[in-house]
Amino acid sequence: MTEQPPAPEAAADPPVVGAATPPATRGVPMPRRLHPATLIVRWLRIVPQLLGGGAAYAAIVDGWGRILVFAAIAALVGVGIAFVVWLRFRYTVASDEIVIESGVFQRQRRVIPFSRVQDIAIERRLLARLFGTAKVKIETGGSAADEGDLDMIALADAHALRDHIRRGHGEAPAARMDEEPVLFAMSFARLFHSGLFNFSLLFLAVIMAVLQNLEQVGMVSMEDWFNPERAGAVAGYLTLRTTLILAPLLILLGIVSGLIRTIARDFGFRLTRTGDSGSRGLRRRRGLFTLSEVVIPIRRTQVALIESGPVTRALGWFKLSFQTLGADTKEGGVQVAAPFARMEEVLPILAEAGFPIPPPRAEFVRIPRRALVRWAAPWLLIGAAATAATFLFEPGAGLVAAAMLLAAVYGAMRWRKHGYALNERALFVTDGLLKRRLWVIPFDKAQTISVSRGPLQRRLRLATLLVDTAGASMMRLPEIVDLDRAEADDLAGRLLGLFYRTRSAARMAGPPPPPLPPPTPDLALS
Amino acid sequence: MQSVGWPEETTLLPVHPDQVWVLRIRGVITAAPFVALALALDFGPLRETPVPAGVVPGAVLLIALILLVLLPPRRYRAWGYREEEDELHVGSGLLFRSRTVVPFGRVQHIDVAHGPIERRFGLATLILHTAGTRGAAVPLPGLRHDDAERMRDRIRAKIRQDLV
Repeated sequence: MTEQPPAPEAAADPPVVGAATPPATRGVPMPRRLHPATLIVRWLRIVPQLLGGGAAYAAIVDGWGRILVFAAIAALVGVGIAFVVWLRFRYTVASDEIVIESGVFQRQRRVIPFSRVQDIAIERRLLARLFGTAKVKIETGGSAADEGDLDMIALADAHALRDHIRRGHGEAPAARMDEEPVLFAMSFARLFHSGLFNFSLLFLAVIMAVLQNLEQVGMVSMEDWFNPERAGAVAGYLTLRTTLILAPLLILLGIVSGLIRTIARDFGFRLTRTGDSGSRGLRRRRGLFTLSEVVIPIRRTQVALIESGPVTRALGWFKLSFQTLGADTKEGGVQVAAPFARMEEVLPILAEAGFPIPPPRAEFVRIPRRALVRWAAPWLLIGAAATAATFLFEPGAGLVAAAMLLAAVYGAMRWRKHGYALNERALFVTDGLLKRRLWVIPFDKAQTISVSRGPLQRRLRLATLLVDTAGASMMRLPEIVDLDRAEADDLAGRLLGLFYRTRSAARMAGPPPPPLPPPTPDLALS
Repeated sequence: MQSVGWPEETTLLPVHPDQVWVLRIRGVITAAPFVALALALDFGPLRETPVPAGVVPGAVLLIALILLVLLPPRRYRAWGYREEEDELHVGSGLLFRSRTVVPFGRVQHIDVAHGPIERRFGLATLILHTAGTRGAAVPLPGLRHDDAERMRDRIRAKIRQDLV
């Protein structure tokens, strides 16, 4: 294997400009093809797909003998497919746009003007690193998932392309990466520490997936394994003693798999500042097997989010991420800037990205007391009904009553933590009891502002206010739920005014200089 | 760049009254399958039971008619809008009332949609698309078609002005 690739890691790191600069800069741009190593990688991906169905068929009908034949055919067909796909994929880098032509039968020609490019990510899986290549993801904020993927080109070309696109934005190409100022980095000890809190039951999914695949090939029968009789037998084994042994084992496995996942993802995490004053960006590099490198242009960051779970918060660890315009569909447009950091480390990064520092907890405005009718009372009502049922006819309802009481207490405590604050540049919203979140929403990043009221809210004179931003995750929107109605209307009007003011100010003066972080305040999250 | 802030809900303009009929015809289309199902049941399985013929389809039809009389005017009244110098306010929702403001500077593109029913009444829906998440598309139905096009052209001009 070591004979084919030209010295992978050595040639990898310095961003080569010059020989690998796209030919666009000198005369007519020429169409180019992907790196030949793509053939091997794609072939490795295609063959199992081709084999999947055929192998199962062969195993059932003819036994194992024919699988070899199928494998050989699949391998050959795979070579053909990989080659044709490779041949039909061409990209042309011009001075202000990139043209990607793809498709074997149905040709597709995609033009991406550089002015539309939000973000360029360079990702290197294990095989890519072996060949000294990289996958380039050009993100435009459009809806198509892989709208500008070059999978794969030589690493030097990838760097050159990125510099080229940055130049197209009128930005200077990156200086030597190693000389960029480091904003945040994680030692292995820190990484290990953070992995301990990323409990994950992924291994269960992995085991199930493996079983399912084995079943497809006909090696195991899931129906035999998981039938009602067996479930009954298993339930018989689930005594207190076995549970006491099994539960910690499951938890341990969960912690270990979380640890492995975290280390694989965040190994060598480094956040550096890149570019000069006009085009500042945050460059994030991480990964153990798959090396990924993303540049988050600061002027495209929309919202900052600081979050922390119950245990990590008690120990003083926080996670900082930025919501960016280039919606990477997988992560909902949210890029992690510091996965596991002290508040003293988070605030300078926030300031570096031009976000204001959140005010202390005391300055947050809480939602009115009558909102408890929505946050706790419904659970209390069900709980009361269940309690009555417990005493009257069904003792089992006691469990329900207890759960409802817990839910009510949880709702009430969460109600206490929910609130918002304003300073001269941004709206801050906090939410969550166990997992606490704090959003920083600069006024000028608002897309729309809306106030809504459901039936119960109308009776209680409450309203929900949402400042919608680009690239937010649908699941977690920074809504201020159950504000006083008049206050919500008033706040919406003020936010709209502030939106216009900051926007026209920004247009006059250019981006505001990042302020120096003040000494760590008593933060709302704690 | 001046904005009047957040005007009272009562100051929103109603959309075109014909929108009631658009909503009503849509309601008929929604109700039709239910009535058809009730009729099919009545001629089929319900014959085996002591339920007198015609009762079930009659009840379904009655409910549908009541809803068709009561609901469209209320849903129509829930819509409202207000065109400002730099933004559009839209009020919507019967059960979940909501007010949304879209600054024109945030509009990515604009649609004027008019389906077959709307066309019959000369109405159209103006849809403002932003880069937002939940409010990414803000529709405003029940505008007269030429009004919708006039608003679209004005907003487009605004956006262009904003870019310069």
